[in-house]
Amino acid sequence: MLLEATNVSKAFGNFLAVAGADLSVEEGEIIGLIGPNGAGKSTFFNCLAGETAPTTGRIVFAGADVTRASPEAHARAGIGRTFQVPTTFTDMTVIDNVMVGAFLRHPQRNDARDHARRIVELTGLRGDQPARSLGTPGRKRLEIARVLATGPRLLLLDESLAGLTPAELHDAITLVRRIHETGITIVIVEHIMEVIMTLTKRVLVFNQGHVIASGTPEAVVSEEAVIEAYLGRRHRRREHDG
Amino acid sequence: MAAAAGPDGQSVKPQRLTLTLLAAALLLYPLVLTNPFYLDIGVTFLLAAISASAWNIVGGYAGQVSVGHSMFFGLGAYTPLLFYTLWGWPPVAAVPAAVVLSVALALAIGLPTFRLTGHYFSMATIAVAELIRIFTGTWNLVGAAIGLQGPARARGWWDLTFRSELPYYYLFLGVLALVLATTALVERRRFGFYLRAIKASERAAASLGVPVRHTKMRALVLSATFTSIAGSLYVIKTGFIDPDSAFGILVSVQMVIIAALGGAGTLYGPLIGALILVPLQTATNSLFGGGGSGLTYILYGGIIVLIARFEPGGLYELWHRVAPYLRRRAHAA
Repeated sequence: MLLEATNVSKAFGNFLAVAGADLSVEEGEIIGLIGPNGAGKSTFFNCLAGETAPTTGRIVFAGADVTRASPEAHARAGIGRTFQVPTTFTDMTVIDNVMVGAFLRHPQRNDARDHARRIVELTGLRGDQPARSLGTPGRKRLEIARVLATGPRLLLLDESLAGLTPAELHDAITLVRRIHETGITIVIVEHIMEVIMTLTKRVLVFNQGHVIASGTPEAVVSEEAVIEAYLGRRHRRREHDG
Repeated sequence: MAAAAGPDGQSVKPQRLTLTLLAAALLLYPLVLTNPFYLDIGVTFLLAAISASAWNIVGGYAGQVSVGHSMFFGLGAYTPLLFYTLWGWPPVAAVPAAVVLSVALALAIGLPTFRLTGHYFSMATIAVAELIRIFTGTWNLVGAAIGLQGPARARGWWDLTFRSELPYYYLFLGVLALVLATTALVERRRFGFYLRAIKASERAAASLGVPVRHTKMRALVLSATFTSIAGSLYVIKTGFIDPDSAFGILVSVQMVIIAALGGAGTLYGPLIGALILVPLQTATNSLFGGGGSGLTYILYGGIIVLIARFEPGGLYELWHRVAPYLRRRAHAA
């Protein structure tokens, strides 16, 4: 098992954002996390990435307990993440952005630059382009490139494919597939069902902090609890009546 | 920032050319303009450039805006004269002790405040600098409000007390070269990349394995070291220090303004800022004398407003935006 999160909860005061979530990820899988807005996906995701320490529960990555480890330690351990709102280093060029990630495993500048160049090529970016001149698809791609440069074993993609046009989405799906083929395990939070149905073999559905369903994408989308969580009880009743 | 292309090695040649021209101009300046007035402006410019370049490491590159850097400048200034007063040491011999004290203070401030994000660091630096200024002004050991004085007459060359400003000019120039060389090295290494990443987004930097707190701490220590040396140079030249000229808020603000005006987070930004601000200050001082002391505040305030409103990247960035346009026009003509 590459990642094992057991009974993970996160409370902000009296509000329980994640309530006892479990997740097991085998090496080489692509897993999807879905759920309506405010369901607790991002908080759970932040717990996995080390940005937020869970209130209860345990997270083990590659045999090591990372429950309360810092984001830096997560990156060193081999857990990489992207952000819902892309946070590129706008004052730097694309290659400089990627080099920041590459320095983690390649402390020498020339090695880091060579590694970054390979990643930039893989992700179809232009190295000398200023990061601030990139549009949304470019910035999302750059975020992926930057985290790939850290040499992750597990990649956590937080809505990295949201806000793209159908053509861009197709390219992005191809890129994620290519990354997966290099042997990287992926956990992806996404609202776009096309992405989930195309890329993942297993899906966890969050609602109000709880995992309400898990299984193959096809099985999960037809579960009543999932339909109710997304569309509301009235819609489910209407379907029944119909 | 247009200078972004620098660290990945694509603009190394133009940087070398700029450096050579700059070095030649600075080396020849006192030989061409021999008038003591111009020499004094040159020395003041170098000291301002050293201080602002030192501030630039933590404030410009790492984006951790210290508004109390006078605390390091002040420690650098007071320690040599205190050692001279107590034990008769040549002021220059106490420079390492001043650096050690400044580094200790940097650690004491950075360790608690760098755990937090936002403006806590800036607020802490202002508060500590002001506390030290007030404390120094009432502490008899360091001369209280009157301050401390260095050797009036040189006991030997080691007191570095010269009649002409020329030896100071070249001493300061050597230190400026050291600060710039260190900054250039930082810019090109992993440390420099990490600083710029932290400035852009600490959260994203941490997610890529950047040891954020440790990196900020290293930047502050390096910056404090050079700022302390600037303070020591100041007293070695003037032979006198009091709480306001050492720890006053204007000392800190001047470093910020000079770096921001020229371009914070760029190698030559502080130099450009000092090149404009120091002659401007000298001009206002000559025009209005002591009666115009409040003008400095107005001048600084005006510059802050102009930079914030029109060119947050400073003149260096403005030049990088305008230069291609001018080149295109020159080609077309």
